[in-house]
Amino acid sequence: MQVGSCWFDRERGLLVEQARNESWHLPRAELQVLSLLVEHQGKLVSKHELKTGDGEHPPLTDTSLARAVFMIRSFLGPQYEGLIETVKGQGYLLHSTQGQRLKSFHYHRLQSLPWWSALLVFGFMLAISGFYLSRIDHSVPTEPLLSTELPLASGQHIRLHLYANSKTNNTLLFELGDRLGQGLSRCGQSDWSEVYSSLSHDKQVLNITLRGHKLGQSVIRNLKISDFRRPKTFIDENWLQEIGICG
Amino acid sequence: MAKWLKWTINLTILTALIVACGVIYLQSVSNKAVILNCSSELFDRHVQRVDDGKYYLLVDVLISAGNAQINYRYFNLDGSSAGAILMQGEVKSMELNRMTYNVSVKTKTESEDIDKKSWPEHMKYLSYISSLHFSESGRHNLSIEVLDSDTNQDYAVVLFQPSNTVCGCRIVNSRI
Repeated sequence: MQVGSCWFDRERGLLVEQARNESWHLPRAELQVLSLLVEHQGKLVSKHELKTGDGEHPPLTDTSLARAVFMIRSFLGPQYEGLIETVKGQGYLLHSTQGQRLKSFHYHRLQSLPWWSALLVFGFMLAISGFYLSRIDHSVPTEPLLSTELPLASGQHIRLHLYANSKTNNTLLFELGDRLGQGLSRCGQSDWSEVYSSLSHDKQVLNITLRGHKLGQSVIRNLKISDFRRPKTFIDENWLQEIGICG
Repeated sequence: MAKWLKWTINLTILTALIVACGVIYLQSVSNKAVILNCSSELFDRHVQRVDDGKYYLLVDVLISAGNAQINYRYFNLDGSSAGAILMQGEVKSMELNRMTYNVSVKTKTESEDIDKKSWPEHMKYLSYISSLHFSESGRHNLSIEVLDSDTNQDYAVVLFQPSNTVCGCRIVNSRI
């Protein structure tokens, strides 16, 4: 009878490892256990049955049984030791092949679980995955519609950024950006290093934010212009000079 | 102990751990307040008038523990009040990649001591837009995105949407 890579000769009480050509004359406990497992291959053999054997000899103790199983598994080697499965609290089971062992192993494990627990675990995993996916931040920072660098006579540069919530219909914003850029370029020098500008979504309010440094301090100036004239000019050269756009 | 009882206990403990992790995470991101103070010069340009209408606007943004409050205060050049709008609501979400707070305003209070006709145009505009949203959906949703900031210099340039308004602000308190 083949058990893993070994040949079991029940009559002679021998277990032969064919690859190594090594034989083991099985002691009584090991022979009794392996004989019963082989006899009931693929089925669970209770501890009591394994300990009692055929009843001709005194029954094995729990320790002897566990030791016998350990010794057989050791001889079968790491590749096949799993053929003998311990079914906790019940007994042992000898599988015919490793694949069948695995299949049977899962089957037994799954059988021992209440059916709703698998459903609950699945639900948990689904909920956690859903929560995790919902927390992933797909947002990307808003980029300016246009960024330009304005050189001043002093050699200084001012960066002008225009922001819009749409990439279309921004003619007025570009026009105002040009006008603002020209106004800033006329400054010989300026306290400002960055200028941010946007038109409100209904094109009623022009926002200009100027940021820079003065006497080592960070300075910010916000201008919000509402224009109700037709056409809307919002800003012009005179007006920019009047409000002191250069800082 | 029966197997089903063991599994029930295990799953209960697992649930408690997951819930605890979630609560700790939410607490850690919401326990610090953000206070921004933004001051602006307002210019109202009309056909009829030679001079622009000039005002000052102070906007205080307070975000703390999921609550949001935005206070718009308008002043004449002599320092007298030209009106105020107080908006209160909650932070619906935060987008950390683009440093954005999505705020849902539930209530709005407008100052009634000044005639509406004398309000700065910016205040009329803000009042109109928010009222429009309130009448449509009962809420005024807006987002505040930090475009640029320097916590050492205590400033942040923010973008308000959907109004598409850029504004430079002082950071009074921050988790930015």
